[in-house]
Amino acid sequence: MDENIVKAETKQFIVVKLGGEQYGIDIRYVDNIVRLQKITRVPKIQPYFKGIINLRGEIVPVMSIRTKMGLPADEFTDASRIIILKIEEQGAIGIIIDAVKEVVTLSTNEIDKVAYDAKDEKSNFINGVGKHGEELISLFDINCIIGEKEVV
Amino acid sequence: MDVSQYLEIFIDETNGHLQNLSDCIMTLEKEPENMDTINEIFRAAHSLKGMAGTMGFKRMQHLTHDMENVFQEVRSGKMKVTSGLVDVLFQCLDALDIYLENIKNTSDEGTDDNAAIIQELNDILAAGSGAAAPKEAEKAPVGKTEEKKAEGYEGKYLQVEFSEKEKDALQEAEQKGLHIYGITVYINEECLLKAARAFLVFKAVEELGDILVYSPSSQVIEDENFEFDFSFYLGTDVPLERVLEVSKAVSEIVEAVGAEVKYRDLEAAQNEKEQKEHENRTAAEQAAASMAVAPVPAHKEAEKPAANNKKQNNSKPVTNRTVRVDIEKLDALMNQVSELIIAKNSLVSIGATEGGSMQNQSFHEQIEYLERITTSLHESVMKVRMVPIESVVQKFPRMIRDLSKKLNKKMELYMSGEDTELDRTVVDQIGDPLQHLLRNSADHGLESAEVRKEKGKPEVGSIYLNAFQEGNNVIIEVGDDGAGINTEQVKAKAIERGIITPEQGEAMSQKEIIDFLFMPSFSMAKKITDVSGRGVGLDVVKSNIEALGGDVEVKSVMGEGSKFTVRLPLTLAIIQALMVEIRDEKYAIALGSIQTIEDISTDEIKYVQAEEVIHIRGLVIPLIRLDRILDCEPKEEESENLTVVIVKKGEKYAGLIVDALIGQQEIVIKSLGKYIDGSKLISGATILGDGEVALILDANTLL
Repeated sequence: MDENIVKAETKQFIVVKLGGEQYGIDIRYVDNIVRLQKITRVPKIQPYFKGIINLRGEIVPVMSIRTKMGLPADEFTDASRIIILKIEEQGAIGIIIDAVKEVVTLSTNEIDKVAYDAKDEKSNFINGVGKHGEELISLFDINCIIGEKEVV
Repeated sequence: MDVSQYLEIFIDETNGHLQNLSDCIMTLEKEPENMDTINEIFRAAHSLKGMAGTMGFKRMQHLTHDMENVFQEVRSGKMKVTSGLVDVLFQCLDALDIYLENIKNTSDEGTDDNAAIIQELNDILAAGSGAAAPKEAEKAPVGKTEEKKAEGYEGKYLQVEFSEKEKDALQEAEQKGLHIYGITVYINEECLLKAARAFLVFKAVEELGDILVYSPSSQVIEDENFEFDFSFYLGTDVPLERVLEVSKAVSEIVEAVGAEVKYRDLEAAQNEKEQKEHENRTAAEQAAASMAVAPVPAHKEAEKPAANNKKQNNSKPVTNRTVRVDIEKLDALMNQVSELIIAKNSLVSIGATEGGSMQNQSFHEQIEYLERITTSLHESVMKVRMVPIESVVQKFPRMIRDLSKKLNKKMELYMSGEDTELDRTVVDQIGDPLQHLLRNSADHGLESAEVRKEKGKPEVGSIYLNAFQEGNNVIIEVGDDGAGINTEQVKAKAIERGIITPEQGEAMSQKEIIDFLFMPSFSMAKKITDVSGRGVGLDVVKSNIEALGGDVEVKSVMGEGSKFTVRLPLTLAIIQALMVEIRDEKYAIALGSIQTIEDISTDEIKYVQAEEVIHIRGLVIPLIRLDRILDCEPKEEESENLTVVIVKKGEKYAGLIVDALIGQQEIVIKSLGKYIDGSKLISGATILGDGEVALILDANTLL
């Protein structure tokens, strides 16, 4: 029994900071974390795309998760990072976050599903809340993050 | 051994034969008496039959066999070529095409017997020549065989050398009371799948007994490392004739000779041979020892096999000096060349900026050298990927012929520039749009023969397809001398559908109206109400061509016909571009579309219909302020002098105002990816020498 629980399901998340909150990104989707670099603006595209960067010879689009979630615009600091997500088929995409904190391992029973609340814009992008010690981590739903949906 | 390894060759060859047949039958329709064509068709059908038989595609074999029968009669003058026959032949081709498609997809020919077509063929045959014996078709190859027999096929099986193991096998078989036959089989020298033939012979023979000895060894045969004959020893209890018969029954086997042998005789012969060889060897040794004295005999002995070898090499058919390469490998190569160019560009930019320490002249020379090499390497790779559009357009004459019958209109297709080359990926995808345009011309463009007569045009409508290269583009024109596009009706349709108001319609140019035909929704309506008829699926044509980085334009004169001009980029991955600066952003404009670069002062700008234009060398060129289009920060103060890049697309010009020119550069086009959903203005991005990203402006969309 005990063994089963240990084996059960553990997932690793990269914990990032965005505004005052902590968010978790499933490590399976993370290809790379890079420092902020020059982002080339591309005119006439979706407003939440900051532009494109050169990631070792690959052109990778970079998205402002803040704009997409309807948060105040990004403030770039030394701690700011671009997390490169790699999703099959669609290729790589970068999202800008305020800072990277740590990597945590959560087992399924530490993750609570959030009841879908249409009024709360941010919950559209989250598919669970993880409890890590005393802290709560909102877990990003990657497909919603990279999808077309946007909070206006 | 497995036949499947020949599948690819089979598919390739069959494709070739089918195309050849299609061409020939087209010719035959026009010149029913052309003996060369008839012979060619006969040969192609015969080869197809043989290949299908080898691969075990029975239905295909059957169909081609009957085609061959018909042509046997035509060839011998017993039958005339009629249009009915041609129709049936085309049906045969279609059926064969379907077989081939099935084989491609599933390695199996499918289950359709095409009995109706075969029946029709046989009816024609019966009507044309009474009850022609189907056997007659076989006459030609049989006759050939007999002819060749006279030249003499020796039983090479006698020269086979045995290993100890093989000797034991032979001996054992003989002790069991089996007959041992030594057999040598000769394959037609034009045969392409020698190993497959050999395999089929072995398979047939093994049903009768056991093969005791292979010569050359079965491995060698499998690898096709043999000339046009092979030998084997068979232990069996059936008569020799039976064995020879089944061997010869395999197609492309010219002759099989053999005789019953006794182990004793074989052994004796073997020993004798060894003896002889031994003597030769000793003679050679002796000769070597006394080389100065008399090297002649040994020399002779040694020279003979060498000469033989040479002869054998010469007699081999000259193999095609081409290599088949997977397109993915070429793509990988192309990517690597792209990376190399980026690396080269960054070296160039280091050389240019860090002048102080790098002032070394030889460094610059080497950079220039590197530039030359990468450019020519790129060109070579591009050339490898280029294929003539022929492979796509060669299907069209047949299609137009069918359409002509189906629509009951007389028409002729004229093609030129089939040898124009395009990137492989473009060629693969250009077929459908072109086919669509041709159909459009045939179906909606051309009038019926009666109407044409009334209008004083030749009864037979002409459709033409011209391909040629223009700068960095390939142009393919598809046109007809039909009715042209009735713009009034198109306009009425647009108004009816609420796309424009009647007032707007009045102000629109002919070109703008024709552009409606490319609108997706517009084409849908056409199917229900037939206005001018044009427009079915033209939006698909447009989007297909745009996906390839090209564009399509229409010109039409009422009553005289219309012309669709498809413009395609020669290459997809790497282009020469002019780098320009707008504020602090860098953009690349393909050099192919740039006409000139002009410096003008602000007071040269004139206004036509509230649009800014300039007047240069007799041309009025509209100006486009790129900074506004690209949403750049407005400039604080307008400078007196403007740099204008004049771009051209077809007959149209536009002047793009930029802040500064950086220079010409070879750039690698990279896609923006699937996430970004922007305007078509930006066709991609490229990485500059310093690692910075620049966007590529598609000048065509600005026009």
